[in-house]
Amino acid sequence: MQPKQSGAPGRGVDLERVKPYADHLNDGIVQFSFTLPVPYGLAARKAAQELARKMGFEHPEVVHYQGLTEGYTYFVMFGECTETVDYATLSDEGFEIEYMSEDEIEAFASERIGRPIVIVGAATGTDTHSVGIDAMLNLKGFHGHHGLEGYRAFETHNLGSQVSNSVLVARAIELDADAILVSQTVTQQNLHINNLTELVEIVEAEGQRRRMILTCGGPRVSNELAKELGYDAGFSKGTYPYHVASFIVRELAARTAAA
Amino acid sequence: MQRLALVGLAKNTGKTETLAAILRELAKRDTPVGVTSIGRDGEAHDVIDTRIEKPRIVLERGSLVASTDALVRASGLTHERLARTGMRTPLGEVVIARLAERGAVEVAGPSTAEDLREVSDAMLSYGAEKVLIDGSIDRRAASSPAVADGLVMATGAVLSEEIEAVVAATKDAVDLVRLPVVGGAPASASTDGSEEIMLGRSLVLSAEPAEIAALLQEHPSASTFNVEGALSERFLEGLLTARSERAGRELRIVVGDPTKVFLTRRGPDWYRRQGLVIEVLQMIRLQAITVNPTAPQSHRFDSGQLRELIAAAVGDIPVLDVLDPDYLALAK
Repeated sequence: MQPKQSGAPGRGVDLERVKPYADHLNDGIVQFSFTLPVPYGLAARKAAQELARKMGFEHPEVVHYQGLTEGYTYFVMFGECTETVDYATLSDEGFEIEYMSEDEIEAFASERIGRPIVIVGAATGTDTHSVGIDAMLNLKGFHGHHGLEGYRAFETHNLGSQVSNSVLVARAIELDADAILVSQTVTQQNLHINNLTELVEIVEAEGQRRRMILTCGGPRVSNELAKELGYDAGFSKGTYPYHVASFIVRELAARTAAA
Repeated sequence: MQRLALVGLAKNTGKTETLAAILRELAKRDTPVGVTSIGRDGEAHDVIDTRIEKPRIVLERGSLVASTDALVRASGLTHERLARTGMRTPLGEVVIARLAERGAVEVAGPSTAEDLREVSDAMLSYGAEKVLIDGSIDRRAASSPAVADGLVMATGAVLSEEIEAVVAATKDAVDLVRLPVVGGAPASASTDGSEEIMLGRSLVLSAEPAEIAALLQEHPSASTFNVEGALSERFLEGLLTARSERAGRELRIVVGDPTKVFLTRRGPDWYRRQGLVIEVLQMIRLQAITVNPTAPQSHRFDSGQLRELIAAAVGDIPVLDVLDPDYLALAK
């Protein structure tokens, strides 16, 4: 779940045919970079331009290039994107979350939930990176937004990294947790994916799935992936603790109301 | 068999192709269908590897679907919304709709087993004769007897570059699905002096080897352990480690159904040979296995050879490749 829809769209923008913006509306200019496994030189430069043209960019330009190491060259390119995207239908999709400020979250939680919301978090499986889960849970937080630990509304338990799914679920049941937060670096290797789905399946096998809110976070976790994995929400880059907090309090309130 | 679940052993094992094949056959017989998915299906590109193009799900006019409101509307098909479910997913609320025209639709149904059963039953009550419940990635919850009456399992080359490893992993998965139902007289204290013990959830999920050894010492005549929730590999490994406490006893571990057993390193057969017999209260009816002999962006096997090897390993279950000319000829 990305922080979306902050503010109104710009004036004169056709939301059904959106193009990249660089100097003026609809110029379609994109800056991008890549590395080719070829030695630095004019031929390399031409190759990069040719490749960018094949990618569909018009008027591709190499604005910077340099040798990386023996036989490798790095390019920074400009090019005009001729495609457009229909934002109007996309922005309508999905489960719109209205993000709240910390104060609003506290007020909402005290009014609608009225007890500490228990959250258990971990970086699961073989993932040794606890940065993501720490940023969301720990008091320190990041970028000036403190983590869920700093809210009166939440009682947080950060189990750290390399936690096995069954141990995480056991702790969550012991603590009568309202939500489980996991972070995992998702790659194309099935290993990470399987570890994320296993957690959901264990919660299901324990008969807790309808009760516990499950969220996952990681650099490549989208709502679409979260849905496939079986989570209630997925958080990726650009997520601050108050995004996660907003989702949890709203979802918990909705479940409480439905129960 | 009204509710059929489709479960894959991994992403890209051809589950959606299997669903499409079943839908085509039901359409030929004019069987009214309902379709839902515990994940998301019928999307144009794979969510993790966008180079992989995915098959679409084409439904006949009159078909029922349980998917999110936004996805049903995005299909552009004329439809009648029969019910809102209040079931929330990351892609929106799940609704039940009847299509007024034939076409492709992306399906993302409820995320929990209980909710899947509810929408399946709702579609049956709205007139579906068969409900197809698609799994997601390698998730097995949809195949639980609490949700579906039967299962089609999808496997494929994506599991390994070695054909033998694909066959072995498939066999383990089939063994798991076909775990025996608790048979005969329960080993109760009254008949042969052995005990039946109900285990605590936290013990089964997270016990240290020493706690498991202590449990065995405490119950020297226990022969059956009943597990209410999930059976973790950690617990089985703990039982194996406590060799002296077990003292050669064969232990029976009874769980609700196969979806509650979590084995990643070894199959049930291996544990049985070590004297740990896993049994279930409720079984899953495995109807067929489908194979995808191609691993996208990687390798492929000969379809016939893969099917033969799997059939030989698992016994009396049809093994099909829904895209193979053999199958297509059969289906005509």
